[in-house]
Parts: sequence; C-alpha cells; structure tokens
Amino acid sequence: MLLPTLRRLAEMIFVMLGISIVVFLIFFATPGSDPAARIAGRNATPETLAQVRHSFGLDQPLPIQYIKVMEKLFISRDLTSFVNRGQKVIPAVIEATPVTLSLVLGAAVIWVIFGIWVGVTAAATRGTVIDRGLMLLGLVGVSMPVFWVGSVANLITQSRFHDTWLFHWVPGLGYTPITQNPWLWFKSLIIPWMTLAILYIGLYGRVLRANLVEAYQEDFIRTARAKGLSETRIMFRHALRTSLITFVSMFGLDFGALVGGGALLTEVVFDLPGVGRLTYQALQNLDLPFIMATVMYSSFFVVVANALVDIAYAWLDPRVRDAR
Amino acid sequence: MTLRRWLQSSAVALLAATGLSALALPSAADAADHTGGTLRLTSSSAAGTIDPQVNYTAQDWQIFYITNDGLVEFKKDEGPGSNDVVPDLATSIPKPQDGGKTYVFTLRKGIKFSTGAEVTPDDVVASFQRLFKVSNPNAGSWYNVIVGADACIKTPATCTLAGGVVADDKANTITFHLTQPDSEFFYKLATPFGSILPANTPPKDLGTTPAAATGPYMITSNDPQKAMILKRNPYFKEWSAAAQPAGYVDEIDYTFGTKPEDEITAIENGQQDWMFDTPPADRLPEMSRKFPKQIHINPLFAIFYAPMNVNIAPFNNKDARLAVNYAFNRRSAVDIYGGPRLAVPNCQILPPGFPGYKPYCPYTKNPGTKWSAPDMAKAKSLMAASGQAGQKVTVISDDQNTDPQISTYLVSVLNQLGFKATLKVISANIQFTYIQNTKNNVQISLSQWYQDYPAASDFINVLLGCGSFHPGSDASINISGFCDKTIDAAIQKNLVTAVTDPKAANAEWAKLDHELTDQAPWVTMFTPKQLDFVSKRLGNFSYSDQFKVIFSQVWVQ
Amino acid sequence: MSDSVIDTPTPADLSGGGMGEPGEAMAAARTRATEGPWRAGLRKLMRDRTAMGAVVVLILIILACVAAPWYAQHVSQSDPFQSNLDGQITIGKNTLDIMQADTGGLGLGVTPIGPTWRGQYFLGADDQGRDVMARMLYGGRNSLIISFASTVICLVLAALVGTVAGFLGGWVDTILARLLDVLWAFPIYLLAISLSIVLISKGLQIGPINIPSNSLLIPIAIIGVVYVPYVARPIRGQVLSLARSDFVLAARCLGVPSSRILFRDILPNVTTTIIVFAPLMMALNMLTESALSFLSIGVQPPSASWGTIIQDGEDLLYTQPMVAIAPGLAIIVTVLALNFLGDGVRDAFDPRAKLRVGKG
Repeated sequence: MLLPTLRRLAEMIFVMLGISIVVFLIFFATPGSDPAARIAGRNATPETLAQVRHSFGLDQPLPIQYIKVMEKLFISRDLTSFVNRGQKVIPAVIEATPVTLSLVLGAAVIWVIFGIWVGVTAAATRGTVIDRGLMLLGLVGVSMPVFWVGSVANLITQSRFHDTWLFHWVPGLGYTPITQNPWLWFKSLIIPWMTLAILYIGLYGRVLRANLVEAYQEDFIRTARAKGLSETRIMFRHALRTSLITFVSMFGLDFGALVGGGALLTEVVFDLPGVGRLTYQALQNLDLPFIMATVMYSSFFVVVANALVDIAYAWLDPRVRDAR
Repeated sequence: MTLRRWLQSSAVALLAATGLSALALPSAADAADHTGGTLRLTSSSAAGTIDPQVNYTAQDWQIFYITNDGLVEFKKDEGPGSNDVVPDLATSIPKPQDGGKTYVFTLRKGIKFSTGAEVTPDDVVASFQRLFKVSNPNAGSWYNVIVGADACIKTPATCTLAGGVVADDKANTITFHLTQPDSEFFYKLATPFGSILPANTPPKDLGTTPAAATGPYMITSNDPQKAMILKRNPYFKEWSAAAQPAGYVDEIDYTFGTKPEDEITAIENGQQDWMFDTPPADRLPEMSRKFPKQIHINPLFAIFYAPMNVNIAPFNNKDARLAVNYAFNRRSAVDIYGGPRLAVPNCQILPPGFPGYKPYCPYTKNPGTKWSAPDMAKAKSLMAASGQAGQKVTVISDDQNTDPQISTYLVSVLNQLGFKATLKVISANIQFTYIQNTKNNVQISLSQWYQDYPAASDFINVLLGCGSFHPGSDASINISGFCDKTIDAAIQKNLVTAVTDPKAANAEWAKLDHELTDQAPWVTMFTPKQLDFVSKRLGNFSYSDQFKVIFSQVWVQ
Repeated sequence: MSDSVIDTPTPADLSGGGMGEPGEAMAAARTRATEGPWRAGLRKLMRDRTAMGAVVVLILIILACVAAPWYAQHVSQSDPFQSNLDGQITIGKNTLDIMQADTGGLGLGVTPIGPTWRGQYFLGADDQGRDVMARMLYGGRNSLIISFASTVICLVLAALVGTVAGFLGGWVDTILARLLDVLWAFPIYLLAISLSIVLISKGLQIGPINIPSNSLLIPIAIIGVVYVPYVARPIRGQVLSLARSDFVLAARCLGVPSSRILFRDILPNVTTTIIVFAPLMMALNMLTESALSFLSIGVQPPSASWGTIIQDGEDLLYTQPMVAIAPGLAIIVTVLALNFLGDGVRDAFDPRAKLRVGKG
C-alpha cells in the first residue's frame, strides 16, 4: 500500500507543478501584463518605470522569477499582491475559504437530499408520469446556465418581488460570517445555495435513478424479492446501498472541485467574497501573486479529490486497477 | 477594477449648481450638535497601497486629503476657492526668489504627527528624498525640477537632494532650489505626494501599513479585501481652518468588496452613507425618482476622449481623423453615460471651466462655440477625400462602467463612415498601459483624463506634448503619439510665461487648445459630471473641486 | 453551469471506460457481429420519439438562426450591429424614441425601449438601441457554430490522443497521460479564463497563420482544448483494455499487423464512444461558451452570442430584464434538446455507457 500511495503523491506534486508553470507562462505571455507601468502610475517617465521594474524583480529572467514566487508562496509564505501592494496573499485566501465552504456545504446538503429524493422517487415509480416528469425537470436543471439562474433569482428576490411578502426577508447581496450573525448568514446564503444546487440535483437524481434501475435487475435484488421483503426495504436496504457507491464518488469529486473555487460564477453573481471570486478578480487584475496562490489552492483540491476517489474506487473495485 | 481609480487622480467640479460661493460653515452651536458618529463609506475594491507618496488614485487621495498635510494644500472649500493653494504646514506661501528658482518655507511650530513627534524641517527633507526612494509615479515628471533630482532618479537608494531641499533647524525653514522656474510647483506640493511624513518612515512603499498622520484623522487599520478604518488623530489641533479644518464624525469606516448595484441598495436602506463607484446606468431612473434629495451632481475637470494614433494608418491621415470628429454624435455618447444631466458634449482638449478654457467646437453643424449635431455630410466627403474607406480599424476599450458601450457606439460610427471596425474590450487594468505602448499598434481607443491640478498644461502639455511620447514604452501618456514641433515649442515657451504672467499664459493656452483641436488627434466626446449618492442622514455635503467630497466636513448626526 | 460547466467533470462521470468496466467495449464489439452498429443504432434512434422531438427542435432553432439576415432586413428592419441611439419607431399612431430619457425625478438615465411584441423591437432594444430579437438570431449562429466546432475539435483531439496513448503505450502513453492529468486537474474555468485573457488581448500567431483576437476561432479553440481530457481519458482506457483483450491478443498471435488491428478492431469502438459523447459535449460547450461570454472573455462585440447578450442584459436587468432573460431561455431550450438527443444516442449506440456530461 505504501508504494502506490507514494507514487500517487509524486503524481499529485507533478500535476501541481505543471499547472503552476503553465499559469506562470500564460501570465507572461499576456501583453500589458507587465505590472510595472500599472504600479508606476499614469504619467511616469521611463526611468521611473525601470526603477519600479527593478524593485519588483521583474527585470530578472523568467525561471528565477518563477522560483522566487514559489519560494515566497510555499517557504517564506509572505507573497504579496502586485495590485494592493503589501497585501499578503495567503491570509487573503484563508479568509475567503470559509465563504466558499459555507456556500458549497449548504448547497451540498440541499443537492444530496433532493438528489436522493428525485432518484429514489423516479426509480420507484419508473415508467410513470412522475418518473418522466422528474427526469425532465432534472434535465432542465442540468441545462440551465448557473449565472443566468443567479441573475434571474437576483432580479426576482432583490428587485421585482423584493417588496412582496414572499421575498422581503432576502437581505442585500453579500456575505455575513456565521460567527457574526448566524441567522443573517443563513438568510443571505439560501438563494445562492439553491441556485448552485439545482444543477446537481438534476444530475445526481438522474444518475441515481439509472443506477437503481440497473440494480433492480441484479440477482441479489431478485433474491431479496423472492425472500418476500417489502419494496421499501428492498429499495433502501439493498438497491440504494449499492447505488450509493457511484453517488459518493461523484460527490467527492464535485465537492472538491467546488471548494477549490469551482463555484466561481455563483460567487460572482451573488457577490460572495469566496475563493472563486478572489480567483476571478486576480485574473481580471492580472495580479500574478494572487493568480498563483488561488490556482495552487484550487488545483490542490481537485487533485486531492481525484486521488481520494481513485483510491476509494480501487478499494471498492479491484478491476479498476488494471484499467488505470 | 481600479483603472478609474488610477485615472481620477483628482476629479473636480465647478461651482456647485446652486451658487455656493463659499463653504456654508455652520455656527459653533450647530457644530457641536453634529459632532460624533461613524461615517460609512463603501467601494467595490480598495485602491492599492496606502502610502500617500506612492498611491496615485482619486479614491485614496480623498482620504489622504484629511489624514496628511503638505507644506501647502488646496483650500478645503467649495466652488472655485477649492482650487486655490493655501499654506498648511508652512506659515505662508513664500515669494519666489532668484527669478522663481528658490522658495523658502517657514514651518509652523507645534504641529505633531499621530505618533506624538513634532514635525521638523528634517522631516520635510526626508519626505522629499523618500519621494524618489519609493519611486513615486511622478518623481521623473513633476519633481525632477528640484536640484539634485536627476541623481535621485538614477540611484534612488542614495538620494540626498543635496542643494535642492535644505533645512535650517534654527530658523525653522526649508529652502527649495529648482533647476528652472516652475509655475506649477505649489500645485505639485499640494497633492498628497507632497505629504510630510516622519523622517524615520521606511524608505520603501508602505503597502497596507498606514503612514503617520498630521490631519484630523488617521488610518488605524486597513485590509484591502475588507475595510479601512479611520479614527480621530489624538494629536490634531486645528491650526488653519482653510487648509485642514477639524472633522465632525468620530470614525470613518470604508468597506471594500461590494458591487456598485448593492452599494446603491445599501445607501437606499441607510446601511451606508456614501459610495465611491459610479452608479450603474440602469439604477439611475429609480434613484432620481425615489431619492432625488440624496443625489449631488457636480461638474468635473475631466474628458472622455478617443485618442487616434497619428503615426499609423488610417489615422495618420488628417482627413480621416476629421471625418470621425464630424460624424461622432456626442449626444449619443452622453446618453449612454447617463443623459445630459450627467455629462456635457465637448469638442476640444480642455474641459469647461478649466483655466485657459475658451469654448470652441469646429466639429458640428454650425461650427462655433457649442456642439449641436453631427455633420454626416461633411464627414462623408472628408472620408472620401481621405481614401481610407475599407481600412480595418480596431477600437480598444476597457471593461469599466459604460466604456464598452461608448466604444461600441464608436465602432458603429466608424463602420458608418466606411471603415471595417471591430471592438476589443480588455481588462481596465491593462487597457490603460496597453494603449500607450506603440508596440501594440493601437489605432484608436477610449480613454479618460482627470486633472491632477488646475493648470491647462496638465492636459495640453501632458497629453499632447512631444515630451510625453515615448515609443515602445508602457508609459507614454501622449497616446496619439502626436508631436508637432511648432506647437510643442509654443507649449514650452508658454510654461515659462506662466511663472510670471498666468493671465497671458492662459490666453495662450486657449489659443493652443484650439490649434490642437483643429489638428484632431482625438475625438473628444464629453466632460462628465460627478454624481454622489449619499444616505438620508448625511448632512453638510461639502464638495471641493480638487478632491470631491470632503469627508471631514460632512456629518451623520 | 458554471459551477458545472466550467468545473471539473470527474473520472466517474465521463468514464465510458476510463474507470469503468472493460466489458463495455466488448459489449459494443459484440453487437457488431450481427448488424453494422451504425445502422442498428440509427434505427433505434429513429424510433426514439423524445430524441426525434429534440432533433426537430434543434432543426427549428438552426433554421431560425440561419434566417437571421432575412429577419433583420424584413421584420426588424434594422441593422443589429449598428448602434441606433437617436432612432425612433412608430407604433400605431405614436412615435417613440428607442432610447427613452427618463423624465421623472432629476431626469437621470436613458432607458432603451421595452418589448413591443411586434415586428420591430419584438423583444425591445439593448443599450445601443439595437433590436434584441435580431441580435438573438445572429447570436444564436455564433453560439451554435462555436459549440459545434469546439465539439468537433475536442472529439478529434481526444480520439487522437486517447488512441495513440492507449494503443502505443510505453513512454508515449506516459507522456500523454501525464499531460492529460495536468489539464484534468486544472480548474477548467481558470484555464479557459487565462487563455481567453491572453488570446483576446493578443490574437494568436502560429507561424504564418494569424488569427485576429476577435475571431470566433479563439473561443472555439479554447473550449475545444479544455475538455479534451474528459473525453481522451475514457478513450485511452477503452483502447487500453481493447488492446489487452483476448481477441486482440489472439489476432496479434496470428500475426495480424498492428495497423489492421487498429482500423478493424479499435477505431470502430472509439468512433462509437465519440458519437455518444458528441451531443452531450456540444451541450456542455454551449454552456461553457455562454459562461465565458458572460464574463466578457468569449465572443467579442459587436459580434454577439447568447452569452454576450445576457451580459449586455445584466446592465439593464433592473429596467429591461427581457434582454437578459430571452437569450437565457434560448440557451436552455437548445441545451435541453441536445441533452435529450444525447440520451437517445447513448441508448441507441451504447446503452451501458455511463456518460455524465451535464456535470461538466
């Protein structure tokens, strides 16, 4: 077990290294990305520009700049922003994490509950109108652009119907830490949670239904039926249990990706200062230190989630080892 | 999101519409009633470093205006008075000696930094050395006039300004020696770059750490992702109501990271008192109907313009440039910006009301002093004469506020004229440097210029002088690359005239303004106005031409 | 689907075979014995009423978009790419400004005309005074072209990389697999945004070919490339298991040349997988395109796509919400139809494949 784990770890590091180099190169390939002129000000002379470039080490060869950035990010941990000079990057990312976690955790609770409900109901009533209706709704959920759903939700709850009894409780956009005011935290996140969850409800409901239907054709279900177990018991004790393996691994990957900043559009639309929005702002500002930090952060979650799921798969299903 | 902050290094207004000639100062009893409370400001993002000698943004200059002081300062007043320079840390405005090459300032006694230490002549010398050590943006363009500055620009670390800035502790004076007379020297000292900081301030950009304050407020904490907090400076005692009056509120909380949309909602609901950002156009009708009393509109000394690169096709052809100028419907651009209450059509280089401004508009039906309507027939015939029809043109726009929309309209005009125009929208953070660099071969772009200080040269010389054109550099603010040797010689001559005879100089600036307008290096579109949306409880709204709302003079209770 | 489209699909999702059972491919291979898999699949697909309904909807949408110039000329009677800020239209007896200055209160702001529900300005005007309906038809062309072309690029590249890696094995496989890993773990939106920012400000220059920054090829290339691992990895897995399968080993022992094995045994299976992927990938790409355009890094103005019109509409959300709502509905209908078609194609060609593209 030790060797595969080590190999896996080496692979993860390789992947993250690759990503950091790609991002670094992309940054320097962008015209106008040289922050010196932006830092120097609007009518700086070329001499001042050269001074600024030198003081930021921007006149050094790229490999050295790369090593310096990585050293400051991981070893001395005092990397600072190019745009808001003096602002440390790592604390900013750490501060944004609870926002993203709040968003993703809440949405995950909603999508798991509703996803299972949709999947189980559809499988139990397979072939009926209910099944078809649920599957249609699920597909609609999968087909909607999240940012559009968010915008429309904002339009309804913040503007058009804000003054009605239905939505007057919705607070203005933004985030309140749970430690500061749990009730406001909850109220301000409920619309973003639902927006983010819609897609996954559709997805998980559909996948779960397919798995359940498949499971019903397996021998052990037939055996259970033959034993005279009730349909409910078969569904929950047997069919659902086996189907949940896929469900759980899917969940792991999605959760990892979302915590890693995948909820970018939701955060942007709802003005939540999470990691996704931080990443987006860093890219907009072409703030290299922030870009590097957020990219490393998100790829870390993606890589770890991938590794965990792969390991879980290998553990559950020995056949996979060969396929990989 | 910070370009506008870069650009609005200072934004300015004319006399507020209602004829306020002076700051309506409340009576003493009134003042006591209104003292206290917390002023809540909000902005979508922070404005970078809070080092007053480095930061070059309208957003933070508004803050430095009440936290720090220079030897001289713009008067904290409303209307034209706010463009006057008054003594601040110095006891008086010194008379020029040696033909305008020497100035002797006497320092006021007893003024203390927020650290408790007294302000001394040594602090002044150190502050000017520090300007160069921290690579101040304008070290090379404004302060290079000080003797010894050249050496400081070359090797900032060892900057002494020996012979340039000389302290005399006994007499409590500081003497400045300049290499040549400079009519704008006091203005340069009056901006936050001229703030006097303690001599022991580290000689590098302070970043997120606040500098010691001399004004009524000091920054006590600052997190660019969250908020900046200002509290009263315990060592502040009012020494000049004109330069640095005491403040009303006890605390100022400046929060960052809210979208402009939501800032408006917060102000409407009384959760915030003032917002930095321009309100999105689609909220204007609602605001002006429901909360007209909370809106303050004041003119700015600024222009929105489209610089055309006069060195590459197709705009190296003057007829082509003229055609665009005649065809461009300034009223349409004004409408996109928010309607005629928020902007005034403009054809020339200088904004209305600025020193040296004389109304002039050749690019309209019925040419004269005012723009009235586009002259499409004339534009089409000029276009035919230019032979540039069918040329490919790319308009470079930034992505802030209404800029993409105004640029889209410009593209439409170019296409109407027969160009094959497309639009390229790039992040505001890179657009401003991108369009300056000749290597990027930008043909036409959208840009804005907000005055630094009230002098015509800040537009004419800075934006169209040969000295601001640096091919191949990201810092080449003469975006058109326009360099006319005759006009430039006249500009340089007039800069000297301005030292002794400002009136004659302004008359000459007006002439140069019109000459440059005739050369059509730009399409000047309009001069915007400043809209401030404030909470219901905010009182005594005071607006300076130089730094907009004066936070120390408003009250919240 | 940001959070969807743009974030990471997962091995489990798309795994036609990557993680999945090697048996799947065998199943597909077995069908081939009795009848050409194409014909059988197609026949099955034709009988699928939902899928056929989706095809009809898609054809209607495509026809509508093809008719965009006709609509602009005869119905909306305006150029949807020219600003019309000082224009007027006549409805009944009233002549209205297209951009209406607000007269209430202080008289701030100018609002474009709302939906007229007639030929001209059916859905109202955008902030340039252009006809939103006409722009939607033109924008739909770009959205469809981009999502289709990027799907083709993605699938061809993925098939190439997956097959080469899986079939050749050895160091070629190692290198390609690691490259795919890097791309895979790269947060999709991040890669797409970074690439867009570079390419849009610079254009792309490969040797003598110069692609200008406002070309549709740029979003096509970006979207095509970022999803390659999601298809290439399962294909590689599939090819790997096929190459090790008993019948291929047997063929090798009999001395059948590699090229013949590749063309007779492996490629047909890969093609099936690709066909199954195609509609679902196109749905995903359409959502990605709209997300990128929404972040103003996709199609560049004055061209339009459904995403850019939504973005234009964002600025008018409080006054004229239809500008943002209508193109969103267009995206939903199109993506929904593609997903239905995708379900049908999968059922018809490879019922056991566990594709999950929606999640992107």
